[in-house]
Amino acid sequence: MNATFHAELIKLRRPRVLAITVAISFLFAVGSALAVVLPAAAGPALERAGGATEAFSTGLGFTGILVFVLFIANFAAEFSQGTFRTLLMRQPRRLSLVAGKMAALLGFSAAALAVTLVLTGIASTLVAVTQGVSTGAWASTDGLADAVGDYARVSLSWSAWATLGMALAVVVRSAPIALGTGIAWSGPFEHLLQDAWAGAGDWLPGLLLESVNGEGGGARDVGVVVVYVALAAVAAAVTLRARDVTV
Amino acid sequence: MTGTPPPSAALAVGARGLAKRYGTRCAVDGLDLQIPTGAVAGFVGPNGAGKTTTMAMLLGLVEPTEGTGSVLGHPLDEPESYLRRVGALIETPAFYPALTGRQNLAVLAAVGSQDPRDIPGVLELVGLTERGDDRFRGYSLGMKQRLGIAGALLGDPDLLILDEPINGLDPSGIREMRGLIRRLADGRRTLLISSHALAELDQVCDWLVVIDRGALVYQGPAADFGAGSETSVVAVPERQDDLPRLRRLVLDAAAEQGIALADVRLAGPTLEERYLASTNGAPR
Repeated sequence: MNATFHAELIKLRRPRVLAITVAISFLFAVGSALAVVLPAAAGPALERAGGATEAFSTGLGFTGILVFVLFIANFAAEFSQGTFRTLLMRQPRRLSLVAGKMAALLGFSAAALAVTLVLTGIASTLVAVTQGVSTGAWASTDGLADAVGDYARVSLSWSAWATLGMALAVVVRSAPIALGTGIAWSGPFEHLLQDAWAGAGDWLPGLLLESVNGEGGGARDVGVVVVYVALAAVAAAVTLRARDVTV
Repeated sequence: MTGTPPPSAALAVGARGLAKRYGTRCAVDGLDLQIPTGAVAGFVGPNGAGKTTTMAMLLGLVEPTEGTGSVLGHPLDEPESYLRRVGALIETPAFYPALTGRQNLAVLAAVGSQDPRDIPGVLELVGLTERGDDRFRGYSLGMKQRLGIAGALLGDPDLLILDEPINGLDPSGIREMRGLIRRLADGRRTLLISSHALAELDQVCDWLVVIDRGALVYQGPAADFGAGSETSVVAVPERQDDLPRLRRLVLDAAAEQGIALADVRLAGPTLEERYLASTNGAPR
């Protein structure tokens, strides 16, 4: 797993990948800060302790599905390109191979999130100063605790989406089918079900993750999400071990 | 049909009753394999004969339905115990298109816990030193094949398994690949090379495994395959000027001995040789 982790990092730490990641973080930070802090009405509500990361948590609330799609595409490509086969001829322990890759990608995502959190805080402060919004409470202990809470919530949500995406890609092994299935299920299908079934938000993974990411999810919602993630990981592991690698 | 089997201790690959079935279709049917250590073994059969499936079973990619075997002295069902000493190229070379050749090899070396300092050496061996920093997606098919072999050579493996390494290559690429295989067959390592192009294997292999529809047809020394069934004598004079005289001599001698000749003709270079001469044989 350690070897696979380092192998994945070779891909992730290329200057081009790092530059694109930082550029996206920067653009997100500036864009979300302008969108959340700039409106004049936002002033008083933002002066509370968690105001510095309001733009971060609001802006990233919609990115779970993007992470889902990226992980599906990344893992499914390993099968469709044949690179999974190439790697298996070096490292036949299939679970280690996928676990190491997953750990590297999640670690990279966590680092990118941390950079985004810092950049968004800086951008929000700069915009707030120009708008006369008081930022005195932002650097308080409560403000930092809020920032850590926002970071943990988004990280948890991203990790869950990522694991579900990885599992779907491993089980389906085709990027177009996995993407189509995943997007259709977590987007229109769950929301249509929500209209017809009041309890959908308490049980369906996509809706639960939206809830967790949007500060509405409690321990119970997080618990159900963890069960989904565990089931998905087990399904991926069983499939990986049982199937022949013929492509 | 089987040649004299080597002692089991001297086998790089051994298998007994190896079979793979997909539903009712039998891809490999009770194959007994014996590849001596140090051999350059050709694995021959028509398309769909089961060559790739057999190789995939040896590499732990496909689980046999039946049968047992060993690779480099380790059981077939424990690929983690021998794959560090095996290099392989199965089907088309599969690498990350956005990464350079060198970066792709670095990924492979990291996954296999192998020394990345081997990378320049294997790139040089396959003639890719100058293109090592180009992205894989920009490589020609021949370059992709050579990068695949470079990847297989990482860690200086004792057993090299190459599946159709000349597939899709132009004549220059085929000749380059033939030369590369000869360089790899240095007696230290065992090579198992599959192909449906028998003429290519004939030039590099000293051991032969022939299969058809998943079943063994022949295995043994390449020279023994079809021995006694020669149909012609080839005589090539050192000096081209002597050709007409040699032809005359053959005709006279045959007539004198009462040998009826079915065909006597002067032969020129093959189409491949003429093509290579016209293009300077430069690999692309």
